[in-house]
Amino acid sequence: MTGVRLTGLRKSYGPTTVLAVDELELRGGQIVALVGENGAGKSTLTGILSGIVTADEGIVEIAGSTLRAGDPRHAQQLGVSLVSQEFPLVGQLPVAENLLLGLRPAGTSRLFVNRGATRRAATALLDRLGVVIEPDRLVETLTVPQQQLIEIAKALGREPSVLVLDEPTSALGPVESAAVLGAARDLAERGAVVVFIGHRLDEVREIADRVVVLRNGRLVADLTPAEATEQRLVRAMVGAELSDLVGQPTAGGGDRIAFRATGLAARGLGPVDLTVQDGEILGIAGLMGSGRSRLLHTIMGATTRTAGTMTLGGEPYAPRSPADAVAAGVGLVPEDRKHQALLLDAPVRWNVSLAALRGLARPFLSPALELAFATEVAESANVTCQSIEQAVRGLSGGNQQKSVFGRWFAVKPRLLLLDEPTRGVDIGAKAGIYRLIEAAAADGMTVVVVSSELEELMQLTHRIAVMSRGHLVRTIDRDQFSKESIMTAATSGAVPRPAPGPTGGVEGAVR
Amino acid sequence: MSAITAEPGSRPRWATRLAATPEIGVISAVVVLFIAFSLASDSFASVSNLQTMGGDLAQYGILALGVSFVILTGGIDLSVGSMVALTAVLSAWLNVRAGLGAPIAILLTLLIAALVGVIHGLFVTRLGVPPFVTTLVTLVTARGAALAITKGFPIDGVSSTFTDLNAYRVLLVPVPTVIFIVLCVLAWVFLERTHVGRQIYAVGGNREAARLSGIRTERRILLTYVISSLCAGVVGVLITSRLSVGQPSVGSGWELTAIAAAVIGGISLSGGAGRVVGVAFGAILLVVINTGLVILHVSPYYQQIVLGLVLAVAITTDRVRSRRLARSRTPVS
Repeated sequence: MTGVRLTGLRKSYGPTTVLAVDELELRGGQIVALVGENGAGKSTLTGILSGIVTADEGIVEIAGSTLRAGDPRHAQQLGVSLVSQEFPLVGQLPVAENLLLGLRPAGTSRLFVNRGATRRAATALLDRLGVVIEPDRLVETLTVPQQQLIEIAKALGREPSVLVLDEPTSALGPVESAAVLGAARDLAERGAVVVFIGHRLDEVREIADRVVVLRNGRLVADLTPAEATEQRLVRAMVGAELSDLVGQPTAGGGDRIAFRATGLAARGLGPVDLTVQDGEILGIAGLMGSGRSRLLHTIMGATTRTAGTMTLGGEPYAPRSPADAVAAGVGLVPEDRKHQALLLDAPVRWNVSLAALRGLARPFLSPALELAFATEVAESANVTCQSIEQAVRGLSGGNQQKSVFGRWFAVKPRLLLLDEPTRGVDIGAKAGIYRLIEAAAADGMTVVVVSSELEELMQLTHRIAVMSRGHLVRTIDRDQFSKESIMTAATSGAVPRPAPGPTGGVEGAVR
Repeated sequence: MSAITAEPGSRPRWATRLAATPEIGVISAVVVLFIAFSLASDSFASVSNLQTMGGDLAQYGILALGVSFVILTGGIDLSVGSMVALTAVLSAWLNVRAGLGAPIAILLTLLIAALVGVIHGLFVTRLGVPPFVTTLVTLVTARGAALAITKGFPIDGVSSTFTDLNAYRVLLVPVPTVIFIVLCVLAWVFLERTHVGRQIYAVGGNREAARLSGIRTERRILLTYVISSLCAGVVGVLITSRLSVGQPSVGSGWELTAIAAAVIGGISLSGGAGRVVGVAFGAILLVVINTGLVILHVSPYYQQIVLGLVLAVAITTDRVRSRRLARSRTPVS
């Protein structure tokens, strides 16, 4: 049995103390969930534990030996393995070699790479997570969720005695999440310490043996799963009631059809028939790889449409690029804000005015006008920042996401497509984003939102369309919402069946 | 950034603003070296030497300006040195051998240069050939074409319009230098004050994000290659006017000088960052150092070492700056 003992930890950046934990003991065989808002000190704490961050004061003991502060290699030797939200994978190497990076399969030569053995070992690792990904594929060709699964499998392959998972399931669908949590449970049962950072409270309650809440760098609660009700957790984290935070049902959508797709198809998608009413919030649920993102990207003109027609506001709509889509009044908040949405090193001003620039130029851009415009937009999207000229990289996840919302609010699209809008943002910011979505719908925008969090969809939307293997399998009205009905529909199509349309690109589905 | 809001009043506003200007390093280097060389040699700041420097500046500066556009999108243009040779020869050939009037010859030369830029752009955007490779092909072929057109010998006998272009002065300033200044102003207006200019930064900062927010990224990238080749064409014409012959061996290695000037001026090789003012002063710095060392009779070998060191300092300060920026990031919840 390993154990981790943290004593007197202090960490400050300049005048701000980000972590002040007097004593925390983690026992082997336990899954400890670490919850708190962004900036509460979770990442600092796990960073110190894995040697990436050097504490100003304090001692970390792992299985009796004291960790040399700020020495990640020493932490690894002591058996600490960290799965962060950034995946340090080598894109140009195949899956198998990434999984065994720096390791050698048992019984193989020191000098030569044994490809067969590497592949077998990799497949065994992936099997532990129940994931089917071809071990010879290059990692750069995988989707974000698939890369996350690889990263987790890689950490498990190190047989760590202390495993830190930083939001391991934020990019994953429900079934994949369950597989990851199952693997974490196995590891804990074999005596390891598992530290789990999570934002989904239902998941936290389900998996954890103990829930530790951080707020402003301090330990504010240490609860058993039974004590950790959603209300109590939220109150500990932000000092507010859950009902204040979660969006309430809004008035129903109008009856004019805002958007209609008929027989819409792309590689691995469709044919899909879909109609959305004016002012409606339509949810799209489905497992990872079910084609949800692809559907949004096809509507946006970012993925080549192979068949089918669309209308927007009653007029034919056939975008050949996202630029056409924006011109027609469609906007997309993509899944991966760092890679698909933000100019990270550019100021907030540039990021929020990006889509509206052409309209601002008359014919030249005026700095004063742009500044006023961007300030107003950032305020309308409730972006909190020190300065509008601050690089957007320095903002919290929630504020980064709100900046992307601001970018679209600035051009008032008729149809707003949202792909996992609350992924990796803290609970306070989630509430803010729900309010933005509701405001958008109230403002006359039609909203299509893809999410892996069923509760979020059930709270927020008027109707949920469920996708599976590239097809729309069921549409559920609000009065019939239930987790069971959505999950049944989402998994029903996952069984192989004679597909009527092209269904490539659904690898990575869970067995 | 936070420094501006955090401590108002501790220093005058203009001083804090000056300290926050990323180009401050290269600008002060220019000022310091200019004063130092002027003190070390009487001839350095003389009118005739300044005019010579102005001619050099036009050559390297215009090339650097053009290349900067490509680098802003995250690409690179290695072809500009050879394109200078090709356009220099081409303008002379059209004027002398084909018997076209100088204005027509110049216009046609620029048109052909632009066409090469379009081809670069199409290769990079449509075929997905890496910019390095695409322009490397032109680096070799354009030089070859220049030599083939002339069979290795300079074309002389260009009309007086060409030579006038170099000889004429506007208030003591040589015409090529005036052209450089005008191009700087145009580039500044384009990059800072038009939506297309901002979109070029966006493409370099994050191409996928730019595409998904409705920017026609392929067109923007193509445009930058056209601008870069056009700038090389302008320099080619100016060279022919300066040498009064179409010289096929000219411009060898200038692509690297141009890229160096851009990088010294703060254009990030990874794209999306850097300003015209920096590029202009980057080019001025290189010319000042070159001329100063010549006037002080420093051996050409040492001159190259000095230039290399300047580049190393520029890159190091850039890294240190961005490292420090990264460290001062404090997330706000």
